[in-house]
Amino acid sequence: MGRKIPLPMLIMAILGFCYMLVPIVIVVLAGLTAGEFLTFPPEGLSLRWVIAFLQSEKYLSAFFFSFRLALMTMIVATIIGTAAALFLSRTRFIGRGAMRAFFLSPVVLPGVVIGFALFAFYISTGIGLTRTIWGLWIGHILYSTPYVIGTVGAALASYDVSLDEAARSLGASPMRTFRKVTLPNISQGIQAGSIFAFIVSFGQFEVSLFLSAPNSEPLPIAMYNSLRYKFDPSAAAAGIFAIMLVTASVLLTNRLVNIRRLLDRN
Amino acid sequence: MSSVEFKGVSKAFGRTVAVEQTDLVVQQGEFFSMLGPSGCGKSTTLRMLAGFLTPTTGRILVNGRDITDLPPEARGIGIVFQNYAIFPHMNVYDNIAFGLVERRQDKATIRRKVEAALEQVGLTGYGERFERELSGGQKQRVALARVLVIEPEILLLDEPLSALDKKMREEMKFWIKDIQKSIGITTVYVTHDQSEALTMSDRIAVMNEGRMLQVGTPVDIYEKPASRFIAEFIGDSNLLDVTVVKSNGTRCDVDLGDGLIVPAHVSDTVRLTPGSSAGLLIRPEMLRLAPALKGEGPRLTGKVVDRVYQGALRRYHVAAGRHELVVEVPNRPELSPLSPGAEVQLFWSEESGVAVP
Ligand SMILES: Nc1ncnc2c1ncn2[C@@H]1O[C@H](COP(=O)(O)OP(=O)(O)OP(=O)(O)O)[C@@H](O)[C@H]1O
Ligand SMILES: [Mg+2]
Repeated sequence: MGRKIPLPMLIMAILGFCYMLVPIVIVVLAGLTAGEFLTFPPEGLSLRWVIAFLQSEKYLSAFFFSFRLALMTMIVATIIGTAAALFLSRTRFIGRGAMRAFFLSPVVLPGVVIGFALFAFYISTGIGLTRTIWGLWIGHILYSTPYVIGTVGAALASYDVSLDEAARSLGASPMRTFRKVTLPNISQGIQAGSIFAFIVSFGQFEVSLFLSAPNSEPLPIAMYNSLRYKFDPSAAAAGIFAIMLVTASVLLTNRLVNIRRLLDRN
Repeated sequence: MSSVEFKGVSKAFGRTVAVEQTDLVVQQGEFFSMLGPSGCGKSTTLRMLAGFLTPTTGRILVNGRDITDLPPEARGIGIVFQNYAIFPHMNVYDNIAFGLVERRQDKATIRRKVEAALEQVGLTGYGERFERELSGGQKQRVALARVLVIEPEILLLDEPLSALDKKMREEMKFWIKDIQKSIGITTVYVTHDQSEALTMSDRIAVMNEGRMLQVGTPVDIYEKPASRFIAEFIGDSNLLDVTVVKSNGTRCDVDLGDGLIVPAHVSDTVRLTPGSSAGLLIRPEMLRLAPALKGEGPRLTGKVVDRVYQGALRRYHVAAGRHELVVEVPNRPELSPLSPGAEVQLFWSEESGVAVP
């Protein structure tokens, strides 16, 4: 017996799907244009701008800079975010709700506000972070960590604390209990959170706009800067690679998680 | 020899007192149950013993050693949880091996002990399975094996049967008791099910609102309850309002009204003062019904109000003056059913009437 989805719902779902997919398709097609300018529909298809992107010192270095930045951001955000989520879920104190809201606030605050606030902070305190990669890194960590707190927090909310208690009374120290019991059972939440952190950092624009150093621009800033002066399809080609990277990272983790499940089954 | 000892132990969460000052001794090898309604502090007491909670006051001793300040991992106490808490990311074998690995035993010893534990709980060949591939009863067995394999000094069980269906519960009740007896391990068992407590325990502590109201053998608790609460909480009960006429140690005379005075027993932990009001407990199965019968012993005259057929027995509601009683009569052909409205006499033997404050 197949599950039947009501027709109106199916149509809505397809429309929603298209709505999300169309911009991606436009970017991909625009990046594959054979013409001189960034247009849609493209004037014939070619790999001309893809090759231009691959040969462009500026774009390639921006791409890899963003990649490294996202990776470093992911690592720190995952550690801080997991620790914060643990703290928030394992302790009871007055003002815990407020603290949680505070930790998660970067998700709801506009990136412009965070970017500008940090920019102003760096400048006014003069701690030498203004428009440096370190300052930018801090901004990205601040912006991405809440996503880790969110996913790990969700994993911990459904985590049965008596597993920890069982481990303790069987003789495991708090550290061992965390490593051997807690961590494996919230690892999916942590993985999801770190992918989020990576993707959010890789695509971050507003925070980077205020904080990026002139000589090392992340990809979104590089694309924006080049489009300001020249309506160049290689920006769309760069977009293709960004989309590919993000898709690959999502697929890869999905695969890893599924393989783990498969192993568990047998 | 005492195995577990509570000395003035209490626990408060902020302003709510979950467990009032408690003194308690559990003997070596004893099966000790804590029985009481939801929220009475059973789990809190157990969790203090396991080391997950620190008592607000008092000390806890295990085999004479003060363990109050030890973390759970240093106590050598095994606990089985209501939801079993099987590690979902490990198979049954690794679950059971967990405590042995933490004790740094060598691989061969671990293998031998785990296999023996699996056999002990009747799960030989289940080592490769994961939690989601086990039934409730099997999870229960794994949880127990995981604890027993570390040879704890004390075994704690927090409502281990409440997640099982009725048939399984009956089976596991005897199974757990058998294992406990064969190892001779001191066991503290928490339940809100009186039938579990009565069947399995050597002694029972009846708790309410953070207090241990009575500690005694199942027979004591059932037949000589120390208060109305206990009388009503355990088993079915008829509690008649009476006045104490005379009190003499564990015996007394009570007035059922209209000058009808009958003798009754009293728990030896209770003092009744003459003139005070009390309850007279007569269990439904202790009453006999007859249209009219000559004979000795206390009796009441009444009228059948209602009759409920329950298969193995018939349950009558009888009004006798200002009292209303429930009587259980075995369903046997020679005991022909009485109809509502019938005049009856209620008999009970002197020993089965218990006065409670
Ligand atoms: N961590 C806690 N914080 C605050 N109050 C608590 C905490 N744990 C228990 N309590 C309170 O202490 C009292 C006793 O709880 P406990 O869990 O010991 O009851 P219980 O007898 O095990 O009940 P149940 O049969 O429902 O499991 C309850 O009123 C409960 O609300
Ligand atoms: Mg409980």
